[in-house]
Amino acid sequence: MRPAVMLVTLVLGGALALPADAADSAPTDLGTLDKDAVARVVKTPGYSPYAGRKFPTRPFFGDTHLHTALSLDARAFGNTLGPEEAYRFARGEEVVSATGQPAKLSRPLDFLVVADHSEALGTMVEVARGNPAVMNDPNCKRWHDMMKEGGETGVRAAIEIIQSLGQGKLPKALMDAKLGRSIWQSYTAIGEKYNEPGRFTAFLGYEWTSNNKGNNLHRVVIFRDDKRKTDQIMPFSSLDSENPADLWKFLQGYEEKTRGSVMAIAHNGNLSNGRMFALVDFFANPLTRQYAETRAKWEPLYEVTQIKGDGEAHKFLSPNDEFAGYEIWDKANLDMSELKKPDMLQYEYARQGLKIGLKLEKELGTNPYKFGMIGSTDSHTSLSTAEEDNFFGKHSGVEPSATRAAHPAAKFGDAVIMGWEMAASGYAAVWATENTRESLWDAMKRKETYATTGPRMVVRFFGGWDFDAKDAETRSLAVAGYTKGVPMGGDLKQAPAGKAPTFLVAALKDPIGANLDRVQVVKGWMDAKGDLQEKAYDVAWSGDRKAGADGKVPAVGNTVDVAAATWTNTIGAPELITVWKDPDFDAALKAFYYVRVIEIPTPRWTAYDAVRFGTKMPPEVSMVTQERAYTSPIWYTPGT
Amino acid sequence: MKLVREPLVHFLLLGAGLFVVAGLMSTGSGADPGKIVVTTGQIEYLAAGYERAHQRPPSSDELDALIRDWIREEAYYREALALGLDRDDAIIRQRLRQKMEFISDDVAAAAEPTDDDLQRYLDAHADAFRLERRFTFRQVYLNPERHRDALARDATALLAELRKSGVTADVTGLGDAFLLEHEFDALSGSEVAKLFGEQFAAALATLDTGRWEGPVESGYGVHLVLVRERTDGRIPALGEVRDTVRREWANVRRIESNEAFAQQILRRYAVTIERPSEAAPSVAMSGDAPR
Repeated sequence: MRPAVMLVTLVLGGALALPADAADSAPTDLGTLDKDAVARVVKTPGYSPYAGRKFPTRPFFGDTHLHTALSLDARAFGNTLGPEEAYRFARGEEVVSATGQPAKLSRPLDFLVVADHSEALGTMVEVARGNPAVMNDPNCKRWHDMMKEGGETGVRAAIEIIQSLGQGKLPKALMDAKLGRSIWQSYTAIGEKYNEPGRFTAFLGYEWTSNNKGNNLHRVVIFRDDKRKTDQIMPFSSLDSENPADLWKFLQGYEEKTRGSVMAIAHNGNLSNGRMFALVDFFANPLTRQYAETRAKWEPLYEVTQIKGDGEAHKFLSPNDEFAGYEIWDKANLDMSELKKPDMLQYEYARQGLKIGLKLEKELGTNPYKFGMIGSTDSHTSLSTAEEDNFFGKHSGVEPSATRAAHPAAKFGDAVIMGWEMAASGYAAVWATENTRESLWDAMKRKETYATTGPRMVVRFFGGWDFDAKDAETRSLAVAGYTKGVPMGGDLKQAPAGKAPTFLVAALKDPIGANLDRVQVVKGWMDAKGDLQEKAYDVAWSGDRKAGADGKVPAVGNTVDVAAATWTNTIGAPELITVWKDPDFDAALKAFYYVRVIEIPTPRWTAYDAVRFGTKMPPEVSMVTQERAYTSPIWYTPGT
Repeated sequence: MKLVREPLVHFLLLGAGLFVVAGLMSTGSGADPGKIVVTTGQIEYLAAGYERAHQRPPSSDELDALIRDWIREEAYYREALALGLDRDDAIIRQRLRQKMEFISDDVAAAAEPTDDDLQRYLDAHADAFRLERRFTFRQVYLNPERHRDALARDATALLAELRKSGVTADVTGLGDAFLLEHEFDALSGSEVAKLFGEQFAAALATLDTGRWEGPVESGYGVHLVLVRERTDGRIPALGEVRDTVRREWANVRRIESNEAFAQQILRRYAVTIERPSEAAPSVAMSGDAPR
């Protein structure tokens, strides 16, 4: 395999393809494309190759999983910043963190889901709104007027209300529980306020925190809709049920009632002790076809990387993958009440989950684990930080400080998790046509997404039967991609006789981040005996490195100066593009393919902490990282 | 994570439950302490809560179970209060403080700005609402890894060719493959910075329009750029940004009002801080919160 850089030659000087001779050489290699097929993605193949495009031209970056002070656990660790501050921070404004430190992102995010733990609140402040049902009561009327006056008078009204509540003297009119305004409604109102279509998307959502026996089965619930629909329900909480199947029923009910759209995204299989991608349901019964269909319907994505560990691949499951085992948390379940046993791992990691899905699909007729990938922070600080040099930690108790890294963060019996084990990860990248709730949500539903561990690299991945080397040279890669194939999250079916799938794979570095080491395609499949297999192929890489006999490209090198927490882009490539054909394809076997992009080594957040606080880290602390991106898979299914 | 160790986290769900109960306290408290009355309103509330979560009303068995559970909860709740179990419980303290803050937020939210308020706010913070500068531009990319030492020379040669061929030249075959677009229409300065980095965005603001310029550096390498049109930013009229101004105005109000609320409450207490021996003597404070 030759590095992708060899595939492209610069057209320069006398060979410039300018209008005079454009007919032969120029527009976008469209000559290699079928005209009707082009018409599907480009309305009018007129002069401008950019006019009328219907496909996404850039990824949007965001966090689908952020907690604020409205989550009681976040609060318990000292977070005092509510959703307003969370949105402001994500939009690129400077805010002061709960520990009094000014915080600002390197650049704004495009979208955010504030996903506080679901719980209901009934306050008595319908008064302020002047709800007619309570205005007949003279006290309510008086309080209402006082509140309207505002200032000190308003405050006095609030205090009077609280006092009467405490003394059990609240007017009867206010005791009707149905009047209790829910926290949910004020919370969705804040989301509406910060949602600016085209500029910044504030999704409405929350987290369902099923934690049965300490095993993490949490799901973030994300609505496509606005407040008018979401306010028709109250969030389904784990107090209602800890069984994911009940959550799906609730989601179904929501859609039927409101004609809205909603999805759920699970996370931290690594803390589920073998429950996340299990062969059995919540009650340990074997999965049924109906379970598989329901799960696949409501859970199109999986949050594969976040602060409490990366969940792509574990060394124990992928011993031949030298990049497996990134930022692993594998000591126990969420509350550390049960230590990890090796046989749990196979049901916890995304790659293995995708493989198990193939097997279950054969047994049940539907693949319950047919999910795409996103990353998010699950930060409880109201600050969506995933960059190594700007990491505000899991919760307010581990915001930047001289001691946070070397201090135990969790302890149970022999198991300890140290502060330095937090992963400064991750973000969700979404190939949407525009930055709106509808467009982003739809892209998430069709799995046209990828996860990053923090950097904002651009990653394209298309699968088809006819990609050739020229498609990697085109200046309109997406036109070739969408015309001749399917994007990440898609399906390949009906293999033409004698053909193997081909993939158009491309990655561009974060404009302010590190260069790229390599791009890999990870393939998982079920062999003829029904055994599950996997392989990671290096398909494009920087420099003149040659793949060894085992097909593996040697390490890219390392420019990190740990003592100074710096690195240079003198190694690696800003962009890698190639076309790759599966050399081991068997048309009779189910398979999936996803892309993993690896950056050159850079300082880990612990290295920045050591420099900024002038501390010395214990020797076991890892100080260098290779950040990465994981795309949603493209699945191949025979005989369909 | 401390999060997973703290025993109090195990009470989180309990905490959420208490909160619901606390919201209903009015129905239970104030009556005879030895008597639990499940009012019609309470039953309706339980049924409504069930319906919101399950999208259907409870069956009569389910409702009976909800009522039985509520009675037990109420009894436990009262006994727990009698035993003082609510004291010094970090979760309960946090929850109560949070409820006070919700109330405080609600007080702030009750105020409605007039147009005059908003106009004054806009005038005083004009720069924060400035409509951004926008750029309509084309760019051709050169990948430094491919050109290595010849990068500057190749860029100069390509620029000369581009200038010769003019602003309408088809550039889709030029330069190196690039994953972002080659043409951008009225892209705001902040979006340019997101896609290409601050350095590139700043350069775009200084280039001559209507001709190929460069090389311009970005985090990716170098670009030759044709800025077709640059629309300068301006201060908008209130009508164009009313919602945003209202949001910002309300946010400032919220912060001020919350602080006033806190001060109002704290004024009711004489605060004494007994620091551990050391240098600082014990101080008595009144009113203002210790910072």
